[in-house]
Amino acid sequence: MTAVIDSPAPASTARTEPGYAWPVALAGSALLVVSGLLPWTFRSDVLGNVALTANPGPMQIFVLVLAVLAIVLLLARRGILPRVDAWSDTAGALRAVGAGAATLTVLGVLGISWQLGGLANVDPGAWLGLVGAALLTAAAFRMTHREHRDLFRAATSSWVEILAVILLLAAVLFGAAYALGQEDAATFVGVLVLVFTAVFALSKLGVFAWLGVVSQRHRQVLMLGAVAVAFLFPFTQEGSDANMSIATQVLIFATTALGLNIVVGLAGLLDLGYIAFLGSGAYVAAMMSHAAAATIGWKPNFLVIVVIGAIVSSVLGLIIGSPTLRVSGDYLAIVTLAFGEIFRLTVNNLDGGSGPDLTNGPNGIPGIPDLQIGSFNFAEPHELFGLPLGRFANYYFLLLVVAAVVITVFTRLNNSRIGRGWVAIREDERAAEAMGVNVFGLKLFAFAGGAFLAGMAGTIKAHHDVSVTPDQYIFLESAFLLAAIVLGGMGTVAGVLVGATILKLLPEKLRFAADYRLLFFGLLLVLMMRFRPEGIVPSRRRALEFHEDDEELAETIEDAHLEVVPDAAAEKGRA
Amino acid sequence: MSTSKGPAPTVGATVLQARGVTMRFGGLVAVNNVDMTVHQGEIVGLIGPNGAGKTTFFNCLTGMYKPTEGEVTFEGAVLPPQPRKVVKAGMARTFQNIRLFANMTAIENVMVGRYSRTSSMAITSILRGPKYRREERESRERSQELLDFVGLGKTSEHLARNLPYGDQRRLEIARALATDPKLILLDEPTAGMNPLETKQTMDLIFRIRDLGLAVVVIEHDMRFIFNLCDRVLCLVRGELLVEGTPQQVQSDPRVIEAYIGKPDEEDHPEELHDSLREAHGREEQP
Repeated sequence: MTAVIDSPAPASTARTEPGYAWPVALAGSALLVVSGLLPWTFRSDVLGNVALTANPGPMQIFVLVLAVLAIVLLLARRGILPRVDAWSDTAGALRAVGAGAATLTVLGVLGISWQLGGLANVDPGAWLGLVGAALLTAAAFRMTHREHRDLFRAATSSWVEILAVILLLAAVLFGAAYALGQEDAATFVGVLVLVFTAVFALSKLGVFAWLGVVSQRHRQVLMLGAVAVAFLFPFTQEGSDANMSIATQVLIFATTALGLNIVVGLAGLLDLGYIAFLGSGAYVAAMMSHAAAATIGWKPNFLVIVVIGAIVSSVLGLIIGSPTLRVSGDYLAIVTLAFGEIFRLTVNNLDGGSGPDLTNGPNGIPGIPDLQIGSFNFAEPHELFGLPLGRFANYYFLLLVVAAVVITVFTRLNNSRIGRGWVAIREDERAAEAMGVNVFGLKLFAFAGGAFLAGMAGTIKAHHDVSVTPDQYIFLESAFLLAAIVLGGMGTVAGVLVGATILKLLPEKLRFAADYRLLFFGLLLVLMMRFRPEGIVPSRRRALEFHEDDEELAETIEDAHLEVVPDAAAEKGRA
Repeated sequence: MSTSKGPAPTVGATVLQARGVTMRFGGLVAVNNVDMTVHQGEIVGLIGPNGAGKTTFFNCLTGMYKPTEGEVTFEGAVLPPQPRKVVKAGMARTFQNIRLFANMTAIENVMVGRYSRTSSMAITSILRGPKYRREERESRERSQELLDFVGLGKTSEHLARNLPYGDQRRLEIARALATDPKLILLDEPTAGMNPLETKQTMDLIFRIRDLGLAVVVIEHDMRFIFNLCDRVLCLVRGELLVEGTPQQVQSDPRVIEAYIGKPDEEDHPEELHDSLREAHGREEQP
């Protein structure tokens, strides 16, 4: 199964490394360890208690983790772990670790002086950490680094790979639970810095490229593991509804973004009014619910409502799509933008003043009762395996099912005749048509299909939110959905999940910066467009599309692909 | 060039018939009243100076343009001016400037060509139903066969954009063949190729013809055209100037005139033809 390659590509040693770099970096790491064990301040009520000797607080633990990572990398460079160094860019990883440790210590110093009033409150332990981080970073930048990160070419045994996938998923589960558990804003930012540093360092080591190949080889393990993680998450919250509320919001947002990713990421159609399809589903569910303000007398089973909501949305999609999808270019974006506005204005005005009373106008439909499927009432807490699960956990599990449906539709369509047609249309529409691809039909299908999934999610959102109002479904929400896709990675499931989590979780946890939310996201998007336009977790095809001239990337991606294709391994030597 | 011509053409039934095809862009008449008939198992060449309207004529045949006047019939039925339906009817093409799906692998490119001959839609694709599995397996097998046929069998999982230039041209042919055509239109299949690759392409076209397909080729390489084709049409300024066997067209003074102007010594056609070829050799330089 695993393809064996004899040796990694040679290191590009343009200049020689100064002799002092390694000892200095080691000294810096040692200082970081010492700093983690010394008090950073005298008061025990800041940053979750960093005032004890040899009993580190959260921030200090993060610094210690990075220090240990740095020492391991340094040892690898001196030949104690020769294989790691031969396959990957340890110097690059050391730079990331150094910069991360510096950010953490600066954050600590700022946090202490902010909360206690002045730099005088900072004890030597923190300063020591700052010096250590600076030494490590400076030394790492003097080290020679390799351009190539070919860890994915390395031969690894199956059980190591499966173990790595399980470890990754476990890290995601406990990382998410731990991050959500942080009440202190500075510590939460510390977690973010740690995660970001670790991700950056590991990507420099080529771990993610390797994991990409590995997870394709062991797809079943990854899928089962992901389902397990998603299922187990509520149990880590011990019945706390606050975090589960955030989790369900993330899940609704992610599910909707996944549906939009079919339209944008797979079919390549820019839809700026997608939230209106979610809104259509939500309004259908609200109008047919048992709420006092519900405007339709017929109250069918919820499953029927889900189907009706989805169909109403997809019919709207067909109506918008069929005249606009025939023309190429940006017309669709403009029309969908207008459609989003039309939806908002329509639901604002269908209050009986002129025309039928369907939506109650600006007041919306409040007081939508919780779902009741069979004898299972979503409002009541339930107990599973002896652990209590509240209202939001109930919705969380229902939404997991919907998300699973959307993910299944997404991945299976992507890997089918229809998916190949979409790629061909994105690559060269005229050539696709000349090869017999039904361009208009496939575009319309993507558009209406995406609307169908959004309508489905909307019916659940209505019950989850308790009320449905026009101002929940405005253009800004569509823009955020699109931002989640662009940020996370067009055309991938994992990317959208990451993007949606970032965009929904951060505002909840960083409420002190709520006024700067849009500024921050705008900045983030600009930086992404400049440095990584394909997103955090890009599909290989999208990465190629964004780097048309990058021959090296094309070769690397092809090699990674050949690692995964079963038959191709044998003929690799040929090229 | 040592390529021997294939067996003498056994002209079969009429596959394609274009009658009075005219294409105007505003005041410009790009193609004017051109007739063309192609029979099964025949290789027809289309030559003419740059700007003669050869590619425009191709676009009229394949439904990319709707001809202003005239009609195109395929196996007796009038072709609708929609590329997708033309492909379905059994006519496929390649492009003058290669238009592969660059970021797909070779085999994925060819599998796109199978689109019109398969019909799995959403439900079976999502549920991975028996129809999906059968069609997916069949298209993959057929595509691999076609890649083997054009000589790219070993590079099926390589990205199209990483393939050498000549291989990209051959991949385009494989992709067109995947649509199960009865007639294949090749727009300058040897442009930019070295002599060895040109010879391989000629062999490939003969093998395609031997499968029973009709082939129409646009080319500037005269030696290639005259060695390859059973019949040659020469377009000049949008009009059909000469039609005949390679020998007839080659020695026709009007063709020579169209390419290099009015000759001074009309009694040395062979010599003139050489200079014509040279002139074209220069023209081909990018």
